[in-house]
Amino acid sequence: MRWSVLGWRLASFAVAAGVIALWQFAADHRWISPVFLPGPDRAWASLMRGFTSGDLLAKLVGTLTHMAYGWLLASIAGIALGAMIGSSKTMRLYVAPTLELLRPLPVSAIIPVAIAALGLSQGMALAVIAFGSLWPLLLGTIHGFAAVEPRLYEVARVLHMPRLAVIFKIALPSAAPDILAGMRLSLTVALILAVVCEMLAGLDGLGQWVLLSARAFRSADLFAGVMLLGVIGYVTALAMSAAESRLLRWQAARR
Amino acid sequence: MAEPALALVQASPPPARAQIAFDNVALTLGGKAIIDTISLEVSAGEILCVVGASGCGKTTALRLAAGLYQPTGGSVRFEGEPMRAPRREIAVVFQDYGKALLPWRTAAGNISLALETIGMPAAQREARITELLAKVGLAGHAAKYPTEMSGGMQQRLQIARCLAQDPKVLLMDEPFGALDAMTRQGLQDEMLALVAATGATVVFVTHDLEEAIYLGDRVVGLLPHPGRVGLELTVDLPRPRDQLATREHPEFLRLRRALFDFIKASE
Repeated sequence: MRWSVLGWRLASFAVAAGVIALWQFAADHRWISPVFLPGPDRAWASLMRGFTSGDLLAKLVGTLTHMAYGWLLASIAGIALGAMIGSSKTMRLYVAPTLELLRPLPVSAIIPVAIAALGLSQGMALAVIAFGSLWPLLLGTIHGFAAVEPRLYEVARVLHMPRLAVIFKIALPSAAPDILAGMRLSLTVALILAVVCEMLAGLDGLGQWVLLSARAFRSADLFAGVMLLGVIGYVTALAMSAAESRLLRWQAARR
Repeated sequence: MAEPALALVQASPPPARAQIAFDNVALTLGGKAIIDTISLEVSAGEILCVVGASGCGKTTALRLAAGLYQPTGGSVRFEGEPMRAPRREIAVVFQDYGKALLPWRTAAGNISLALETIGMPAAQREARITELLAKVGLAGHAAKYPTEMSGGMQQRLQIARCLAQDPKVLLMDEPFGALDAMTRQGLQDEMLALVAATGATVVFVTHDLEEAIYLGDRVVGLLPHPGRVGLELTVDLPRPRDQLATREHPEFLRLRRALFDFIKASE
């Protein structure tokens, strides 16, 4: 059992190594012009240079900040609104059609609106990221709160639980799996929108770095930025899964 | 045995000894009469079993006694006071233990929910939890989640959580209905021992006629459409009850016959 896990992990590393080797080979043999495709060696060198000079680090921090603030704002708003809408059937009936109308709206379409209203500012980026990543979270939370076992509310009534205790001890933990699933989806959306906003509004971040590198044909820098974005996506998703499996230990017992 | 059979049908009973009193209770839900009308009394320390064909409103009657429903006619009183809402002295054991327990809390955590709610200081909770778990035969299972337990264990856990409320009354809605026969008999005896030790009043709804006679001091049979009292039997069988001796007792067999005839006639 243990060995097969180790074997698969080694195999997956071998695939990744193979891809990088192929990339190096293609670059060395100039299958694609080095203007467009740097080898992994040059991309790596550029990454290191970016970090030692501090330029790339500043951009990385910029993107992480945009993403984190937008996502946190969406999380707070999404959970609070979702709890209110989800726990009341009347609220669901009133609000659901509006949500259905807003949800499929591509967020990229509201960026010009946000720019017109808020200018090319950090506030605009925050608003766009929060708005875009709100939806999976809000819908997850609404579903989670709506699906709380009614019997548990009766248990709470029989025990005379105060309203706040019912929310924090019954509704919220019951909705937690749906909320966390929503938060994981939102995290991805937040990263995408952070990059898009940086590109469009010229805000300090990897999005801007990538765009400027591409325009200046600095392909090694471009690839360094893209690689870094990949790492952000991977590491944040990993952290989110770790938090999820820690918070939802009780679900592991069910299987 | 403590309560004479006649008290049951009196329209306005003296509140002196009745812990729970149904006084011409009627309930109409969505224009449909579910109960019309029930008058009965349960005295402190008594075990009253309620049986009846499906649709007779026995679960509804229990929910009225719990304060989860309000009657549309008459009144439900607890120790002389009208029931306006659920009260902590009255605990409810639901049939579907799988839904009534919090899956994200361990056995200890589920009991703790009741202790937290009654305001027991955190320092005292652990000892009380250990005591309650031992009482229902779950010592050593404190750290298990409900989903890691068998049905019988989950129902024991729910009973322990109800006992954590220190209730004067236990309302039990077909608590052993979903369990296999062996587990059910074991739990019947454990419940009788627990109730004898705490002196709690029990109202026990069941569709198992023999279970009703085996557990009860009195058995009330309800008639369906709308629910009303059709039969009331005093069970004069010695305690402690025994799964073999009690069930072979001539009186047990006589009551069983009477109850079966009643159910058959009411369907």
